[in-house]
Amino acid sequence: MTISLNGVTKYFGRDLVLDDVSDDVPQGSLTALLGPSGSGKSTLLRIIAGLEPLNSGHIELGGRDVTNVAVRDRRIGFCFQDYAPFRQLSVFDNVAYGLKVQRVPKAQLRREVDDLLSLVRLEAFANRYPRQLSGGQRQRMALARALAIKPEVLLLDEPFAALDAQVRGELRSWVRELQHELGITTILVTHDQIEAMEIADRLVILNEGRIEQVGTPDTVYDKPANDFVQGFLGPMTVLNGVACRPHDIELCDVGLGIDARVTDVVRLGFEVRVVVQTSSGESSWVQLTHAEAQRRSPFIGEHVSLRVRTTADLFR
Amino acid sequence: MRRSSMILRVVVLLYVGALVGLPLVFVFQQALIHGLGTFFRALGDHQMDTAMILTAKVALIAVPLNVLFGVGVSLWIVRHPSWLTRAIDTLIDIPLAISPIIIGLVLELAYAQNGWFGSGLAALGWHVMFSLPGIVMASIFVSLPLVSRQVIPLLREMGNHQEQTAATLGAGPVRIFCTITMRSITWATAYGVSLTLARVIGEYGAVLIISGNIALVTQTLTLNIGANFDNFNDYQGFVGAALLALASIVLLLILGVARHRERKRHDYLA
Repeated sequence: MTISLNGVTKYFGRDLVLDDVSDDVPQGSLTALLGPSGSGKSTLLRIIAGLEPLNSGHIELGGRDVTNVAVRDRRIGFCFQDYAPFRQLSVFDNVAYGLKVQRVPKAQLRREVDDLLSLVRLEAFANRYPRQLSGGQRQRMALARALAIKPEVLLLDEPFAALDAQVRGELRSWVRELQHELGITTILVTHDQIEAMEIADRLVILNEGRIEQVGTPDTVYDKPANDFVQGFLGPMTVLNGVACRPHDIELCDVGLGIDARVTDVVRLGFEVRVVVQTSSGESSWVQLTHAEAQRRSPFIGEHVSLRVRTTADLFR
Repeated sequence: MRRSSMILRVVVLLYVGALVGLPLVFVFQQALIHGLGTFFRALGDHQMDTAMILTAKVALIAVPLNVLFGVGVSLWIVRHPSWLTRAIDTLIDIPLAISPIIIGLVLELAYAQNGWFGSGLAALGWHVMFSLPGIVMASIFVSLPLVSRQVIPLLREMGNHQEQTAATLGAGPVRIFCTITMRSITWATAYGVSLTLARVIGEYGAVLIISGNIALVTQTLTLNIGANFDNFNDYQGFVGAALLALASIVLLLILGVARHRERKRHDYLA
């Protein structure tokens, strides 16, 4: 189902948190609302769900105006960052909640919940209580619970933020596969640009309540609309007064680029950060892979020459 | 065991024993001093039984009203915070902070036949002073915050994400309250109920003033115990006191066991 936002504007008291936000989310896409904290992304998600009223603008789901439709009638799957498990109910009853509301007959309810539990690989945990589950299991339970009402839109608020790094990575690819399999239009909120680029096929970049850019991960990364987007999506440095990405700078033979002196070499896992000072006194840095660094082995005090890699260089 | 914790134990046991344990034992010892037969005959005392029934009636009206009010006001304070709810949150503790005698006097000022509201109500044929409604009102007043003080912290800790999730799953407000909210605060409410019950059946000062303490009419069990001691009928007084103490002990025991079981099954802080 498509989601269409038209001039969504929201104030908290006197603070403008969403300023005339418009976007069309295509059917079946996985869109990431990406932005720093306080950019209004979670508020926007809550407004789409109907959990928060808006001051002006309107929202359409599949062409139907739902601006004044209550949460309970929007049939939207929503997962909170803390997963909001129903603590007093078993995993089975958590997942069954929406079906019980719809008065689904008992046998059918059991079948559907069992199917959902095996979809999220929690068959063995049906009789457990949420507190007996790990963070990742709770998240999958919350997902199954949201999917039970067969929503045509799935909204996920910072779905991986509360998990540790390893589980986060696994769940990300799992959620992505699941979304592709079900083809359900999904919007997720995140402040993590790497996560957004890895999981989503569409990014909506928000800053201070306004949309800065909408596009595929490749588009926004390679053709950022402005300095904010460029700075937000990856590390930035300045060379000869021009902003660029530190991994787009290469060390070349003296005389071919901008002369500089190495002031520091920092090893960060597979990446090596070479801090330099150009002859004009400007400080900049270059990101090298571990292999590049071993080949060149830059040292402090070394005179180097720098230039920004062009796209043509990549195909040399 | 370390010496310091040993000393701590002894001090606590002595302190609690001297303040609570010994007087309690003394009440039962005095009530049973003439043997079980006399004790059971004393239980049939007409004035005491009438007072006991009145106390039961008051409790049956005041406790449910206080639960409704307590849960309702807690939801309001936690879910819709504003300057008004913050004011109420503070005001609600007043009954615990001021002496019940003063509560009784204030209610009398307002509701006596020549009082602020009392004259109007009397014109309509409603008499609050020296009657059941007055006693109920005083009982509700003195126990006003006991339910909400148990429920508010739990509601805060629970947050509203569970309720909002239920709404996205299609549940209406009544269903959400019954299946999500109430299930989370059941034991806190039950604990508040038991505290309210204990307070209502044990209240003396406020009820003394507003009821007029008329034997066989507006005399509650606590007032009856007081009257017995005043009339040099100490034995009957101790029998009444033993009954009240027993009721409280049973109440606390039931709750202690229930709370323990509940905590074992579901951790509130899961």
